[in-house]
Amino acid sequence: MYKFYLIIVFLFYSFIVNAGPFSDFKAGAELSEELTSSPTERRNTPNSDSLEQALLVLDPQNSDMWDYLQISLLGENSKVSFVEDVKVIMQDHIEEPHEVPLIVKLPNRLHNFQKLILIIENNPIQQVIALTPFKPIEALGMNVRLEDDSPVRAAILDNYGVWNIGSKMVFVSSPGGCSSPSCDPTVEVCEQGVVGKIAVKQYEREGEAERIKLKITHPMETGFVMNVDGDLIPEYYVNRIHVDDINGPIADIATYAALSSDPVILLDLPEKGQSIRVHVKDSQGLEFFSYNNNSM
Amino acid sequence: MIFFRITLYFIFLFYTYQSYSEFKYEIEIIEISDGTYVILGNNDALTSKNGGAISNTGFIVGKESVFIIDAGPSYIYASEVINKIKHISKLPIKYLLITHHHPDHSFGISKYKELGIEVIMSQSEITRYEKYGNRLLRQMKSLIGEEWFENTSIIQLDDTIYNFPFKINLGGRIVEILYYKNGHSEGDLIVRDIYNKLVFVGDLVFNNRAPTIPHANISNWSNYIDQIYNDEWSLLVPGHGPLIYDKKKIFKTKRWINYINDVAKNAANKGLSPAEVFEEGIKAEFKEYKLYRETWLRDLPLLMKKYDE
Repeated sequence: MYKFYLIIVFLFYSFIVNAGPFSDFKAGAELSEELTSSPTERRNTPNSDSLEQALLVLDPQNSDMWDYLQISLLGENSKVSFVEDVKVIMQDHIEEPHEVPLIVKLPNRLHNFQKLILIIENNPIQQVIALTPFKPIEALGMNVRLEDDSPVRAAILDNYGVWNIGSKMVFVSSPGGCSSPSCDPTVEVCEQGVVGKIAVKQYEREGEAERIKLKITHPMETGFVMNVDGDLIPEYYVNRIHVDDINGPIADIATYAALSSDPVILLDLPEKGQSIRVHVKDSQGLEFFSYNNNSM
Repeated sequence: MIFFRITLYFIFLFYTYQSYSEFKYEIEIIEISDGTYVILGNNDALTSKNGGAISNTGFIVGKESVFIIDAGPSYIYASEVINKIKHISKLPIKYLLITHHHPDHSFGISKYKELGIEVIMSQSEITRYEKYGNRLLRQMKSLIGEEWFENTSIIQLDDTIYNFPFKINLGGRIVEILYYKNGHSEGDLIVRDIYNKLVFVGDLVFNNRAPTIPHANISNWSNYIDQIYNDEWSLLVPGHGPLIYDKKKIFKTKRWINYINDVAKNAANKGLSPAEVFEEGIKAEFKEYKLYRETWLRDLPLLMKKYDE
């Protein structure tokens, strides 16, 4: 008979234990700059002991995703080499998953490459950009959406037909960079703003080198975010960016909604471009130009 | 039968444990000087354990009335504080001053308003509280837990326009209220307890902790810290962190805000990605500040965007 009471006690205990301070409050995905004096506590933060574990996860041998991704994004017969000198520079732990800055720095040997593809393995949208260069490029920067903890990989196709891949393991404290709204319409007015405004800025670097910074206003809807009524907001994103200057094309970039809204692209070039022009296309067929397109 | 009683006993124990330890703040009142009291916040990030009580609040007891500085993060917090004050003084609580609108300082307002207290707050902060309060409340709830915010609501405040600086007599005790425009927030208020030579400065000073800058004007804030240094006081209550007796300590706030500002400006001018700036790391001296990493990672891109226009 006492067993019966023990079971009741046990059930009550487990019920209570799961409430209150013992329960795991999942931080909301929206993290506003308005929010006060304090950053949030991180969930599932790997400590220094599990850094080894992070490296393990990064090893493509351990990634369930990788074989599939290699075939679908890089090609069925693609050759890959995981290298140390392609640097994917990003934070280890991310609080705000809707806009994560990163920059890919290429070693000298790869400044003349065939193609660059950026992959976030655990996103619902795994391919972020696919860039075809027409000039040497030293580095590429952008802001991306992270759905959850994930390896981020930059794959660069060299002139020998090998994809050189640099990787970085990133942990996200509040997931949902692709599937949750960055602006919550139930508590605030979300302004769309003008779509397709392009700003181009050039910055000097050492010697003759320069950096081009492009900013495009665009919602970059992923198609995975629900509106207040529970319907999915349809995808709507910039899908093509073409950059050229007075001497010809610089880069042709296929882009996807894994880029943050109002995308920013950085391009490091060994030589200064003259009269940079940017032509943008989006998934609804709209076209935007950073210059007066009356060349017809 | 005895097992039935044992069961009931355990169930009772668990329930009382639950109501006793959950969603109750650990309010410890420290009398820092004659009639002036401080409640030190948990000098850490917002967590479900501290319920958002991360800022320092306080109160001053005169011969006629009680004056409260900052409302804490929630209705529950304010209720507990009021209960504790009642054990210390039977005098009416007449004034509540809110240093600035950030939730950890202001969200207890709705409880105090029930008592018909006069709320002293600058215009800009009232506007921010009323306009963004609900959005922030929702975020706080999902961050820390809804239960901490039971009964917490964002209310309409009276539109009283104060002419700062001014003094209030609590009955043999004068407090002076000063206004600093566009410092840490768009309108910070500080309180001087003239008799005890002490001052409550809100988030114009952070002690042992990286300051946060979402609404700050860094150069003004930096100047205000100098002004506060030159004022006469022997004890300063910062918005976060332990009490300050050594005046020089307030300069640590100044060092951080100017450092992050310079780095952000510089980076924006060079067109850097925040990723590159993070790669460069932070100067060793700033790693001594609590929460330096999280604050740096969060605030630097914000500042860079400001300078990117």
